[in-house]
This record gives sequence, structure tokens and C-alpha cells, in this order.
Amino acid sequence: MKQLTALLWAEIQKEHRHSFHSKMVYFSLLIWPAIMFVTAYYSFAPFRTGADSPLARFLSAEQLPLFLLTGYLGYIFFWCLVQSAWQMSFERQAGTMEMIFISPVNRLAFLYGRSLSSLVEGVWLFFCFTLLALLFVGGMHPSGWWAIPLAFFVLLVSAIVWGGFLSVLFLFSRDASFLYTVLDEPMLIFSGVRLPPLAFPLWAKAISFCFPLTYALQLVRGLLMEGAPLSALAPELALLASVLLLLVLVTVVLLKKAEKHMKETGNMVMY
Amino acid sequence: MLIVENVRKVYHVKEKGSWLRQQWKEVEAVSDVSFRMVPGKIIGLLGINGAGKTTTIKMCSTLLTPTSGTITVDGYDAVKEDRFVKAKVNMIAGGERMLYWRLTGRENLHYFGSLYGLHGGALRSRIDSLLLQVGLLDAADTPVERYSKGMKQRLQIARGLINDPSYLFLDEPTLGLDAPIARQLRKHVKELAVAHGKAILLTSHYIHEVEELCDEVYIIDKGKLVAHDTPAQLTQSLNLETALHVVIPALSASLDLDLHKLAVRCGGSREIAETDEHTWEVTLRGQTDMTTPLLSLLAAHQSPVLRLHTQQPSLEDVILHMADRRGA
Repeated sequence: MKQLTALLWAEIQKEHRHSFHSKMVYFSLLIWPAIMFVTAYYSFAPFRTGADSPLARFLSAEQLPLFLLTGYLGYIFFWCLVQSAWQMSFERQAGTMEMIFISPVNRLAFLYGRSLSSLVEGVWLFFCFTLLALLFVGGMHPSGWWAIPLAFFVLLVSAIVWGGFLSVLFLFSRDASFLYTVLDEPMLIFSGVRLPPLAFPLWAKAISFCFPLTYALQLVRGLLMEGAPLSALAPELALLASVLLLLVLVTVVLLKKAEKHMKETGNMVMY
Repeated sequence: MLIVENVRKVYHVKEKGSWLRQQWKEVEAVSDVSFRMVPGKIIGLLGINGAGKTTTIKMCSTLLTPTSGTITVDGYDAVKEDRFVKAKVNMIAGGERMLYWRLTGRENLHYFGSLYGLHGGALRSRIDSLLLQVGLLDAADTPVERYSKGMKQRLQIARGLINDPSYLFLDEPTLGLDAPIARQLRKHVKELAVAHGKAILLTSHYIHEVEELCDEVYIIDKGKLVAHDTPAQLTQSLNLETALHVVIPALSASLDLDLHKLAVRCGGSREIAETDEHTWEVTLRGQTDMTTPLLSLLAAHQSPVLRLHTQQPSLEDVILHMADRRGA
């Protein structure tokens, strides 16, 4: 356990020094999601959001800012991990990936440690901004004092598991960067970041349930916007836990396959 | 002991084909290679580019799986029990990769040490001792991007030693380094074997480096081991020609003829070239030493000797000779 903690800490320190080396990086990590949120909010302005609008069946006009804020908060958690997985190509180019895989380090701990460090570095500023914005916007109905830390924990764990899964995909191939395009935009559209998945047609609903962000956002909104008690959220919590567990299992299997593949083809050094 | 037995590595390489029909071909990078690494000894793996040296090193260091054959490290199978093998081996490659440039030297070592389960005071003291060993203690807290090429290479050595490996693979470790720094590194590598009992496998394009450091040399060509011996024995065993260079002030027709006869009698050849200083350089090549008959001949012709030196065949000649022979 001590070794694992030391590894996680070392991974966090490395990511901090390597990827978050300047104040401008943090500035961009705040300003970019904030701009996205504002853009999304004002995108709704020309459309009807009143009681007779199609959206009103799923979301009231007063709830829209809160809905978008929580949506973007969740999206930023997951987006950071897509970025982090994408950075695996740097490890290939620098030859450091070989040095990681030549060592006996627990691969899963390395992947999740990497995800955790990227995530915490990437979201803390926007998380603080969101909290302040939520207080400013008002209308929050948290389930209790514990709802905010629990929502943070739900997003954190879900995003780390997602990040580990993506990193494994990037281990398979140096050309996996196409996944960035394939996963990022659909996640933004279909996971309920800007629109409730219930408002989607059936085919889009099917896609939305492929992203763990969908389940995480349902839970977070239940905790922060609807004031739902934990007992009422238990089925959603169980569903998210099952999805994450499945994703962890798939990650473990793929990780073994990816390393075997790299050792057979020698593609670890190709970049 | 690290034992490599009948190891073969075949890559399946995609050839250009249509979208629907991909064509694959097999490329044998290493074929039936066997050797041993013993504590305290440095062995050299030599060969021209694409001979299979790096593939061999990567199989030994568990980064690649052999297609067939076995590699065992102190009794552990490098494929099935790679977790135990990984703790005992490490690799150092030439060049400036394999380090995090934005991190300091100390931070790099801290990160790589943690991958081997090292932490706390034990890791800190190991880092200090390694930084001292490679002469980087003063630059320990400087980002690697500000290091010179030689400093980066020394940090690579420290990184390769972070887990105190019993078996160390050095892939072109002095590539692109200035002569004094390369000499310093060679001294350090020798110390690692002699004083610390490490078993070292070295590949290098600098043949003098291999001659200076290695106890034994394996020559690999097109994936196959073609020779194995001490550097001295290898050069002797092939009976390569020794070149005898002599510079004389003048060359008469009769001396020229006698030199030709001497070369023929000794089964060799002679070359004559006029130098910029208007003297003559005679080169006699042959498998036997022609120094004594040459000096007698020059004395008989009353020709003074301005310079004389013998050029023994080097390991480089051995490799080139073998490559030519196999290419023919």
C-alpha cells in the first residue's frame, strides 16, 4: 500500500511538473470551459425555453443555467482524461513509455495514477468556478451537506475509470488519436451535458448510454439540483457502479492484451 | 546468470496493399541467437545497422517477446516470470530520449525509482548516491532541458542504475558524445562491471570502445550470431592482413621492383604513393609480419627510413570482413 501511494504521488508530481508547468495552462483550464459554458447558455437564448417549448417537458427555464453548469462540470472531468490519454503519444515519442514498461510497476496503478493526477490538476480550478457560479445562480437543492463532496467523488471516480480505459486504447496504437475525435464530440452531445438524454430520439438515447458520463451526470444532478435523498438515488448509484465495474474489467483485459501486443509487434517504440 | 538460448524474433510487417486486402510479410530480425551474461563481465554485441542488436537487447530486457527460444535470468523465465526479471534488469540507450525534460534530474530519478517500488528515505539516499556517482549532484535540481548532451547521458546512466540491476543493457551509450565525456563514461561502465559485479551487454558503433571494454564479443549479422570470442582472438582468428607503412625519401626503380618481389614472396601486396612532402609512402599488406625483411631490403638499398608503423587488424576490420563475406 505504501508503495502504491508512493507511486501515485510520484505520478502526480511528474504530471504536475510535466504538463501543468505554467500559470497559462491553469488559466486556459479555467477560461476555456467557462467560455464553453457561456456559449452554450447563450445558444439557448434565441430559442423558446418557456413552458410551451419542447425542452420544458424535461427541464424548466429556471433550471437551465444549473443544468448546463453541472453538465459542463461533468464534461470537463471526462474531457481532461481524453486529453491525458491523448498525451500517451508523448510518452511513446520521448521513449519514456519503454522505461515505464521495462519496470515491474503495476500497470493498472500507473494508468489510474496518471488519470488521477491529470484530473485533479485539470479540474480543480473549474470546479471552484462552478461552485461559485452555482451559488451565484442560486436555485440549488442539494440533498444535504454531503451532496457536494459526494457529487465530486462520483465525478472523480467515474472520470478516472474512463481515463484508464482510454489510456489502454492509446496503448494499442500510435494512431489511436482518432479516438479523440470519435469520443469527445459525441460525449459532449449525447451524455446530457447540454440537453437531457430523455429528450433524445431512441437511437441517440442508445448512444448516450454508452458513455459513463451520462450515468454520472444523472446522479450529480439528482444530488445537486433535485435534492433527492440517497435512498432514491440508490438505483442510479448501483447502475453507475455496475457500468464502472464493467469498464474496469474491460480495462484489465485490454491492458493485458495491449502489453502482449506491444511486446509482439514492438510498436511501443513506433511514433 | 542471464542465459539466452536459441532465440528467434519474427516481425509481421504490413506490406502495401489495398484497403480490403492487406498483405503481410515475415521479417526475421533475430535468428537462433544464444549467449550468456555473467556477473562482472562486459560482453559486446556488434554488427552493422539492422543486424538485430537492439531487438536482442529488448528481448533480454522484457520489452519484446521472442518468437521462439528462451531467455532466463537467474532461473526466471523472461516471458512467463517477467515481473521478477524486470526487477533485475535495466537498459540505457544513447541519445537524449527516455527522460522527462521538464523535470529536474532528481525528479526524473524519483519518478523512475518509484516505478521500482522505491520510496521515502531509501529512494532519496539512492538518488543522491547515483547523482554523486555520475557527477550530477550540483545540477540535480536543474530541469533536464537545460542539461548538455553529456549530462543527459550521465542522467540516463543514473536512471538505468536506479533499481540496482544485476544485468545492464547499454545500447550505444556514448552515441554523439564528445571524446572526453565518452572516455569518462567508459571508465564508469568498466567500474560497474569490475567493482560492482554487474553483468553488462554493450552495443556500440565505436569499435575502440568495444575493444577497450568488452571481455567477450558476439558478432551478429542479419540476425544471426556469426562469431564469438575475445576481441584479440577474433582479430587473430580471421588471419586478416597487417598493414606495414614505411615512408622513405626516394624510390628507385630497383627498390620498387624488390618491394614488389618481397610482397609476392610473403603472399601479400604493396602500394606506393607519393606524399605531399615529396617523399614516398610504401604500404605492404600481408598475413605475415614483413618488418624484418623490409628493413633488410631498405638497408641493402641504403634507403633511410623516415617513418615506420604497423597497423594491426581491428575489430572493425573483422566486422567489415564478415559483412562482406556474408554479403558475397
